Amino acid sequence: MNRPNDSPKDREQQYDEFVVLLAKHDLPLRRYVRALMPSPDGVDDVLQETALECWKKYSDFQPIDSQEPSEDFLRWACVIARFKALSWQRDRSRDRLVFRESVIELLSSDALRTVLGHEEERRAVSACLQELSVEQRRLVLSVHSPGESVARIARETGQQTRRLYHRVNALRDRLLKCVEQRLAGEAADG
Amino acid sequence: MDSNVRELIFRAVDQTISPEDFERLQTEIERSPDVRAEYLRAINLCQSLGEIASEPTRESFVDTVAPRPHKERWYSKSGWLLATAAMLFVVSSVAFWLGLQKGIESPQERVAERVADDVIEARLAGHATLRRVVDVKWSEGAVRRLEGDVLPKGAIAFDEGVAEIDLFCGATLIFEGPAELEIESDWSVRVTRGRMRATVPPAARGFVVKASESEIVDLGTEFALEVGTQGARVEVIDGEVKLRGGTHDGKHLRTGETQSLGGGVNRDRVSSGLSTSSEIGQRQQLAETQRFDQWKVTSNKLRSDPRMIAYFPIAESQEGRVVRNASRRGKSLDGLLVGPVERTSGRFGPQSAGLEFDRPGARVRTRLDGTFDAFTFTCWVRIDSLEHRYNALFMSDGYETGEPHWQIRDDGRLMFSVMVDDTQDVRFYNRRDQRVVKDAGKHRVYYTDPFWDISKSGQWFHLAAVYSPAERSVNQYINGDLVASDEITDEFLVSPLRIGAAEIGNWGQPFRSTQWFAVRNLNGTIDELAFFGTPLTANEINSLYQQGKPLGY
Repeated sequence: MNRPNDSPKDREQQYDEFVVLLAKHDLPLRRYVRALMPSPDGVDDVLQETALECWKKYSDFQPIDSQEPSEDFLRWACVIARFKALSWQRDRSRDRLVFRESVIELLSSDALRTVLGHEEERRAVSACLQELSVEQRRLVLSVHSPGESVARIARETGQQTRRLYHRVNALRDRLLKCVEQRLAGEAADG
Repeated sequence: MDSNVRELIFRAVDQTISPEDFERLQTEIERSPDVRAEYLRAINLCQSLGEIASEPTRESFVDTVAPRPHKERWYSKSGWLLATAAMLFVVSSVAFWLGLQKGIESPQERVAERVADDVIEARLAGHATLRRVVDVKWSEGAVRRLEGDVLPKGAIAFDEGVAEIDLFCGATLIFEGPAELEIESDWSVRVTRGRMRATVPPAARGFVVKASESEIVDLGTEFALEVGTQGARVEVIDGEVKLRGGTHDGKHLRTGETQSLGGGVNRDRVSSGLSTSSEIGQRQQLAETQRFDQWKVTSNKLRSDPRMIAYFPIAESQEGRVVRNASRRGKSLDGLLVGPVERTSGRFGPQSAGLEFDRPGARVRTRLDGTFDAFTFTCWVRIDSLEHRYNALFMSDGYETGEPHWQIRDDGRLMFSVMVDDTQDVRFYNRRDQRVVKDAGKHRVYYTDPFWDISKSGQWFHLAAVYSPAERSVNQYINGDLVASDEITDEFLVSPLRIGAAEIGNWGQPFRSTQWFAVRNLNGTIDELAFFGTPLTANEINSLYQQGKPLGY
């Protein structure tokens, strides 16, 4: 996997580059994998396998566009991640909900496009959150906090799960519309 | 978009979808590019919300002194260590990846600590506030008070001047010196000497003034009182009072009526010559104008000081989105008001200006280029509260090598620091906090003892920091007094010094890679700031304080 003339020094330097690139793209890569997996459960596993595979193959990685080597890295890592996601789901297709391969293929090409715009999307979400009331914001964020879920929050606050669902989904709808508008606006403004 | 499909999408995201519906959703995704796009939008939204919800720089967390998210990220630190391990076993990349994941949850192994849920509510002792004082000379041995102070239970005494006190119950008392009184509660004051006018609105009906042998219970509006060595005399200016205790127990007095309490005061009309609130206002304004004018003279002299890097006499600036740099270095150093900075009263009253930085986006941006041998920073500030862990006075943007940060910690300590080497990290045992602290960039923060707590809210302070590499010293002053003096050790010696792009009242972090910024705006007002490129002496700092202090200080 190493080039024959790779000295330890080169390899060390490569590793350093690799760490920087991988860290930089951690969040978009995670999004990409999440888009291909119906459940968040396997996302960490797939990411781990992807990171390992990327490092094994890193010597072969050639940025196509030397202007944007970092974005090329993300594209390249996404290709590897797609294979890992496919094989992970193939192995588990019997015991849980997994996407059909045809669905994963369709989603993966669209997903790559959206993760490249991940920073803008997240900025838009933040801005849209500001348009909600404090209480609404708290609700919609608490549902998405690590380890939280609508069901759990409903249980703790003694609200009906279905009612809470309605509220959360209405807020998500609102946010989706707002984000879409903002992103459209940004594109129009150049 | 069909709302049923959207619901399916959310149910899939939330993992509450049935196998049958999941099949339906997959078919829709295959069939329709719109559904596909919508599914991805929903996933992205939920991921963003998850990221935002777990964002470590949210307000409930406390930052390190310098999180520096723009330059330094956790991976640059952990990279080499991990690299060594991975050189040995490629397999350990898995562990490394786990390491990264962990790193994301706690960037920079931040020394953040959750603000405890059981934060103790701040409490202050007090029954009244000192609303205004004009020409007051405090009696020997008495506590010196400043306008705006919260007055606790206890004695107040002054020999000359006029003081206006607002009791929490709503009653306003105007005392003419010499006066001695004791605040007993929100509803009760004992007067042992002096002349007083009490104005009691309906909300404060029942307010009691004790004098001589009697208690005067106000039943509405206004009365005057004079207390001498022998006895006292009360006059109802408007409304009605009831006397309680003593020889006149139970007697009611109405508008225009007077009553001696124990004799000794012979003045017929107690109220004659007593100041009203609006007269105090006029006298105060006059005195403030004089003080303001005196300050202008000294401030004008200061402007030609060649040692000055920049000078912002904000007090005299009345409008516009710019604060003028009045030093000889000129207009290019003007500061720009950004965001919700409010112009408010400065330390010479409403005729002078101050800039208030109450809201997180409020800031004044400046750019002070050049290299300097030393720093002397001085400012006049009124702190309303120390809301954040760190509250900015003057902060260089990047906090790069040689650049200063001047701020106040939430426990009331003044902090001055200069970045020594922005490529290194420091780890040190902080004796004050009894723990090992890790900071991005090698620097040392020089602290004072706490000088501020909530009881000082609204008071003006003159703060100064003198950083002199040549003398190896960092001296910090409050109201002209040296309060902290530290040595700059070899390890933390840095020269030359720079400022560059910097902010007053906030911290700009324009190079950060995320939208998150540390909230450090000052909840207070600044009305004068001066920067020198040389160390000023203790005498010079003291005279800046003396010449600039507001009325009553």
